[in-house]
Amino acid sequence: MRLLLPLLCGILPLLSAGAETPIPASPSNYVTDAAGYMSPLAVQNLNSRLEAYERSSGHQLFIYIGKTTGGVPIEDWAVKAFKTWKVGRKGLDDGVALFLMVDDRRMRIEVGYGLEGQLTDALASRIIHDVIQPKLVANDPDGAVTSGAEEIVKVLDGKALPGAASGTSPPASTQQQIPLSNLQLVLYGLLGIAFLGLLATHPSLALYLLTSILSGGQRRYGNGNSGGGFGGLGGGSGGFGGGGGGRSGGGGASGSW
Amino acid sequence: MVSKKWIVVGVIVFFVVVIGLWAMGGYNSLVSLDQGTQAQWAQVESSYQRRADLIPNLVESVKGAAKFEHDTMVEVTEARAKVGQVAPTAGTNPANDPEALKKFQAAQDQLSTALSRMMVVVEKYPDLKATQNFRDLQSQLEGTENRISVERMRFNETAQAFNTKRDSFPTVMIAGFFGSRFQHKAYFTAQAGAEKAPQVKF
Repeated sequence: MRLLLPLLCGILPLLSAGAETPIPASPSNYVTDAAGYMSPLAVQNLNSRLEAYERSSGHQLFIYIGKTTGGVPIEDWAVKAFKTWKVGRKGLDDGVALFLMVDDRRMRIEVGYGLEGQLTDALASRIIHDVIQPKLVANDPDGAVTSGAEEIVKVLDGKALPGAASGTSPPASTQQQIPLSNLQLVLYGLLGIAFLGLLATHPSLALYLLTSILSGGQRRYGNGNSGGGFGGLGGGSGGFGGGGGGRSGGGGASGSW
Repeated sequence: MVSKKWIVVGVIVFFVVVIGLWAMGGYNSLVSLDQGTQAQWAQVESSYQRRADLIPNLVESVKGAAKFEHDTMVEVTEARAKVGQVAPTAGTNPANDPEALKKFQAAQDQLSTALSRMMVVVEKYPDLKATQNFRDLQSQLEGTENRISVERMRFNETAQAFNTKRDSFPTVMIAGFFGSRFQHKAYFTAQAGAEKAPQVKF
């Protein structure tokens, strides 16, 4: 123990020195300025603009301004944050996120799978290099981010998704339900009765069986993209958050200023 | 006496059912993890395909402006052709075959090297770099390279999830029982020499 303590004290700072900035919890608004880079008024205006945009088109556009990714490439950080926040609707993945890392002077537009057709890498790159970057260089962060967002919206509006009717909340779930065949129904019924019998005679065993079956079937493979049908945030209901999408394959563009 | 016999039979049947259910759960989770790596492999392949599709346009636009860089163009074109030859046969899962994966990766990495060399050479031609067409192609190439690295990382994650499940007790017994049905999955490795920036020789 006496040996271990100094060892730990020596290792911990080393670990934290080059540590990547952890992905923050799902933002509470469309625009999150964790670095205090924009003026509060501009943030507020852009927020209501993006809120209206989601209501009319269904697409989520998140903007996150932070200080640094902590040494990792912004591309890696962005794809992780996109997934953690579940940007876009579940099953459609029609979200876009714009990241700015002020101290790193790096930015990135991350595009969900569902919008790669509209907001191509080339268009995202044009927005970054022709719209946002010049204004950032000219020291106009409000203008840079606002016009960048407007430009993204403009590109996306060129071809809105057909299912995106205005005013309605996004579909709660796009997972299709496969109807059970009669044979399956009978089988499940028999299994259920057998289980009930077991529950009556050996309750603890029955419960163990239940948990082991559930854990065996429910475990997902590691990428966790789908987030499961249970714990998701649910599209458009209740508090603010991602719509349950969050699948992006690294599409978009990056730039620096 | 009769009732005692029935209890024994009941207990045996019960254990057979329990073991059967447990084996089913283990088998099924291995199958779903296996399918996961296969699906992710398809993603990896399609992002590499995206890059291969991009190359003819890219080479064409560079050729117009940089007429003297014949060798670089040939290198890219040849590397791209080679990629097509080592493509795994459709329907197989190269994750199950470390040799096939290694060959695939070697060919793709060679193409990456040739491409990055070409992009370095292009630095000598400011006129070319200024055209919108080339800038679009360049950003598409960057986006595609990023997609490749994202999908490769996810592939390794799914492969790791499979291998972990496969090797943990008691699933390892089920995996052993089915022999080659559940082989270890191979991983993508970092490109040898990837930490070195390509050299520019004038």
